[in-house]
Amino acid sequence: MTQAAPLRLVDVDLTNLDQFAHADMHEVWRLLRAEAPVFWTNGTPTYPGFWSLTKYEGILEVSRDPVTFGSSGGIQLTTDPRTSHSLGKSMITSDPPRHAHLRQLVNKGFTPRMVTMLEPQIRGITVSILEEAARQARADFVGDIAARLPLAVICGMMGIPRDDWTLMFELTNRALGPDDAEYQTVAGDRSATRRQAAAEMTAYFGRLLSERPGTQSGDLVSILAGQAVPLPLGEGDSSTSPLPVGEGQGEGGLTNEESIHFCRLLIQAGNETTRNAISGGMLALIEHPAQRDILSADRTLVPIAVEEILRWVSPVLHMARTATRDAEISGQPIRAGERVVLWYPSANRDEDIFPEADRFDVRRIPNEHLAFGYGEHFCLGAGLARLELRVMFDELLQRLPTIELDGPIERLRSNFLGGIKHMPVRFG
Amino acid sequence: MKATVDPSRCEGNARCIGVAPGVFELGDDDQAHVRAGDIAEELRPLMEQAARLCPRQAISLEGQKAQS
Repeated sequence: MTQAAPLRLVDVDLTNLDQFAHADMHEVWRLLRAEAPVFWTNGTPTYPGFWSLTKYEGILEVSRDPVTFGSSGGIQLTTDPRTSHSLGKSMITSDPPRHAHLRQLVNKGFTPRMVTMLEPQIRGITVSILEEAARQARADFVGDIAARLPLAVICGMMGIPRDDWTLMFELTNRALGPDDAEYQTVAGDRSATRRQAAAEMTAYFGRLLSERPGTQSGDLVSILAGQAVPLPLGEGDSSTSPLPVGEGQGEGGLTNEESIHFCRLLIQAGNETTRNAISGGMLALIEHPAQRDILSADRTLVPIAVEEILRWVSPVLHMARTATRDAEISGQPIRAGERVVLWYPSANRDEDIFPEADRFDVRRIPNEHLAFGYGEHFCLGAGLARLELRVMFDELLQRLPTIELDGPIERLRSNFLGGIKHMPVRFG
Repeated sequence: MKATVDPSRCEGNARCIGVAPGVFELGDDDQAHVRAGDIAEELRPLMEQAARLCPRQAISLEGQKAQS
């Protein structure tokens, strides 16, 4: 629903999570791009103040300079660096040169060759998911289809036993959706929900890492277990460990705590983002039947359409950076210590970069979207996500050609993940 | 003009190969490599595009720049 009065800058509140769940955020980002591409929001007791970047070029500018705009001050708007214990201990919240070192421990598992080798398995999983769904007349597209592929793939790569996959689904929902009542384990309390999910994941992966014999079996958890070095203090005790990462343990070493953080990162990044790209992509195709017809008629367009789905959906809504020195972005002075938030869905609708940016076009070329970020922290799993999306949409178009919405969708209450929680569908 | 791919950054996304298949190739190590030592100056716009599109900022260009 559009309001009668036009949106004004004084009305913009990117911390209003209900708006993310229920309104069209593109209206907000469009206004910011036009009138305030580097936009300051004052801090609150729960959020430090922050600059919002909404133009493509500004977001690239920051992404190109990971030293000036660091990640170790937290990558989510909601992270309070004064109280967070995980910063700098996970790859995603590490800065150069430590980040590159952590990344090289696992990036061989995500190379084009490794990913290509997974294609037959990914197709097999996809086909069985869709065959099972098609036995019913109706489904929740998210839980019954979209969530299942990336969950199976990342759990398979990590060597997580099948009996635990549902637990992983629940834990990542709680860890990444703590502001949503559906996932809160303590009603109304995001911090407690997150803390509990983190503690359960820490206990789970601590156990899994200790059971793995080392680098023998080749799954990602075993590779990380093989990097372990003894921790001089209480193992994995994140509240007391004063360890400066990478010091006094040799370059190759990962503390037990760091290995656990790595596992948590892999399971979260591996299943939430791709899930939402699948759900959001299906929704876009349902809402644009002419585009869906074009794609159904020529499935060789699927790889191009997947890029448009990534641009359109942009499942990760933001990454935050913290200025490590006084700097300037698009002419706006930024002071050391200030937080800068990169709104990727906005960059991906930037009128200066994408002709007819608000048109969903499955044949769009070129399409240099920033859905996976750019530079130092470019999504490690981009190739894997692309493959999952290509296979899923290729099979979806063939096997469930008449899929339609069967009720209202429910979006995640979050300004970090553009999530769809539920999407009722029927199969014609 | 010379182009180099930083092996500590390249993760085989192969965007450079899409832009300039005559210049870059994907090696057995799943990383992009530069085929030729010296690259014709007229390919500079293409090389700059390849460097810009590399999502990992792994490509650097050296040698004479066009007059500005």
